[in-house]
Amino acid sequence: MSVTPEAVARATTLDVVEVKGNAMTLSMGPQHPSTHGVLQVVVEVSGEIVEKAEMEIGYLHTGIEKTAENLFWTQAGTVIERMDYLNPLGNELTYTLAVEKLLGVSDRIPERAQSIRVLVTELTRIASHCVWLGTGGIDLGAISTFFYTFDIREDILDLLEQSGGARMHPHYIRIGGVNGDVPAGFLGRLDALIAKFPQRMRELRALLQNNPILRDRMIDVGIVSPADALAWGLTGPSLRASGIAYDVRKAFPYSGYEKYAFDVPVRDDGDAYARFLVRLDEMEEAMRIVGQVRKELDTSGPIMIDDPKIAQPPKEAIALSMEALIHHFKIVSESFRVPPGDVYVATESPRGELAYYLVSNGNNRPYRVRTRPPSMYNLQALKHMVPGNLIADMVVMIGSLDPVFGEVDR
Amino acid sequence: MPSSQAPSIAGSALDPSAVRPDIADAEIFRVAPAELRAKLLLLRAEGCSLLLDVGAVDYLGREPRYDVVYHLLALPAKPSSVAEIGVPRRVRVLAGVPAEAPMLPTVCDLWPSANWAEREIYDLFGISFEGHPDLRRIQMPEGWEGHPLRKDYPLRGPAREATPRPAFASKSNVPAGTPPAGKVAAALQKQIARARGQAPNGTEKT
Amino acid sequence: MEVMPGQFMLGKLDDVARWAQSSSVWPLTMGLACCAIEMMSVTNSTYDIARFGSEVFRASPRQADLMIVSGRVAQKMGPIIKRLYDQMADPKWVISMGACASSGGVFDNYAIVQGVDTIVPVDVYVPGCPPTPDGLLYAVNLIQQQIRQGGRGGILAKA
Repeated sequence: MSVTPEAVARATTLDVVEVKGNAMTLSMGPQHPSTHGVLQVVVEVSGEIVEKAEMEIGYLHTGIEKTAENLFWTQAGTVIERMDYLNPLGNELTYTLAVEKLLGVSDRIPERAQSIRVLVTELTRIASHCVWLGTGGIDLGAISTFFYTFDIREDILDLLEQSGGARMHPHYIRIGGVNGDVPAGFLGRLDALIAKFPQRMRELRALLQNNPILRDRMIDVGIVSPADALAWGLTGPSLRASGIAYDVRKAFPYSGYEKYAFDVPVRDDGDAYARFLVRLDEMEEAMRIVGQVRKELDTSGPIMIDDPKIAQPPKEAIALSMEALIHHFKIVSESFRVPPGDVYVATESPRGELAYYLVSNGNNRPYRVRTRPPSMYNLQALKHMVPGNLIADMVVMIGSLDPVFGEVDR
Repeated sequence: MPSSQAPSIAGSALDPSAVRPDIADAEIFRVAPAELRAKLLLLRAEGCSLLLDVGAVDYLGREPRYDVVYHLLALPAKPSSVAEIGVPRRVRVLAGVPAEAPMLPTVCDLWPSANWAEREIYDLFGISFEGHPDLRRIQMPEGWEGHPLRKDYPLRGPAREATPRPAFASKSNVPAGTPPAGKVAAALQKQIARARGQAPNGTEKT
Repeated sequence: MEVMPGQFMLGKLDDVARWAQSSSVWPLTMGLACCAIEMMSVTNSTYDIARFGSEVFRASPRQADLMIVSGRVAQKMGPIIKRLYDQMADPKWVISMGACASSGGVFDNYAIVQGVDTIVPVDVYVPGCPPTPDGLLYAVNLIQQQIRQGGRGGILAKA
């Protein structure tokens, strides 16, 4: 018995298992504590060793791309945010940058708006790595890690709620800038987080980095060579842990990243431990960027493009100016039209190169929103990494690839 | 409705040979399906080692109906630093696929990362990939009929296309069309009648 | 129940059983999408669902009392939720967390089941996209209230 399409189909119709000699075909998931979401891995195991693994996805297919085709350009960001739900502002930023490129207004976005965008995106990166590390720790039995990392995450979500209005999915980054300046008290809280963060990272490293159990479980597990990484389409920390220092923020800078000094952590070993170290280093580099952005936020400035056809006028103006009222009405009721064309814009999400290929036909709705989902390409590599390893190793590998199923399935 | 925002129709994205605004996000090549593999092999030999994405677009009403879009990136296949990578070459290859026999050769043997992407295009658009090791639906359940991302597939699906919106309207325990009742509704009706210059029971005041 | 002088408590068996049940509602790990992350947040030290008795989230439906459907339910996932619900032992409760689980949410389209209550009976709906962890905690408290009042999931009632 092997993982044929028939066996997979049986597993998806929830009939169980084939047993032949020592080999068993089992379905792990889609409800499973260690699959990081709705992933079904149909494994052929003999004892604890996985001979073959076939992954079934689609358990979270939401039709986000088609939904976005039926919403205005200004509204589509709300559903696109919900793809990679650990990086909502990153999704929004990528989509917004793509629309701005099609509109031709990329160089008119105010500087303060760009700084705030970088700030919230890097904070979201840290928050996303916190979830990865916390849940990764739980997979390995290191449950206290979860409480440490989610404490950092709560501070970050407080900041995002203060500025954007919601902890997750605030739709804060809008076409033309950001939705409102950071409120009073925000910068003080941000300073407190920046001050607290190094101690927290020290605690996490002391807890985990040289822990013999963690090292045993992660070193030499899931080794990916550079050539294989490229063949399987890996990007992000998984690619950088195999030695190839490709980071979209350095190669194709966007939103002002060329101004900030930060390093791209790279390792050569290509195993789960290397991916773990790369992400830990990335958290610190992200906070380094946050510190630099913080200094820029002391001077005030506009946070939305000065173009009434694209950005809604401020509420104060609407009561006094007829034009402002009309512009507001037009943007809200029928959005603006984007010139026809197609564009591919990529950013560095916590999982890799996240990109949108947008097609416009001149209308006020996107004609096509094609996502380049980093998690989907990262996850495909699992099928090739797993054979010959223990089930427990497979759990470590899934965690080290850090998939988010909202993005894999969309 | 005439609007200063309406652009000219020239250069529409629906026209495969249209001149696009100079966005300069990648080198763009458009090939016929028969030349696709040759072009991609050539690009791979030139160093495009990473297949970033394979996606499709349905241009309903255009001939050929679909575009399958390949995005490639040239990265060195060995440990390299940020400086060595520099600004990698980005390439976009578009292949127009006709509606009558939507089929393209697979590229799974060139880049294994194309496997799921091609399955997704098959599932959501109905374009088959010749030579694909395991071409079956990936997002929709096995046995689903139709290809959801096609432009002629309704957003809410054929089963619910005609049902009222929003979906939870049918869950209310108050049937649609029930006139408002209660103290607040009555007070509101009185206010409306007064504003219209009518007697409280709706008749004209004399 | 009354506390008698000395070290006795006097009460009906129903009340004692419901007090015990409501103080140890163990959820099933049924995280689907974004709401699952807020469900994880409800276990962290800031919100701490453990103080309400939901100390552990059980992965096996046999060992769980409460299924928190946290996230959008795709067409492929629907039968699986039904199967998990059937596998849970009585008495069991269901919280539909978030707009997508309650009614389809922002996704009124071909891919999403418009409300998990078309598949399993729901006790408490939590609005939000995603609801804050406070909202989920309130929902768990409502379930506890329902249990103590001998509601749908009372020990003598069929699920």
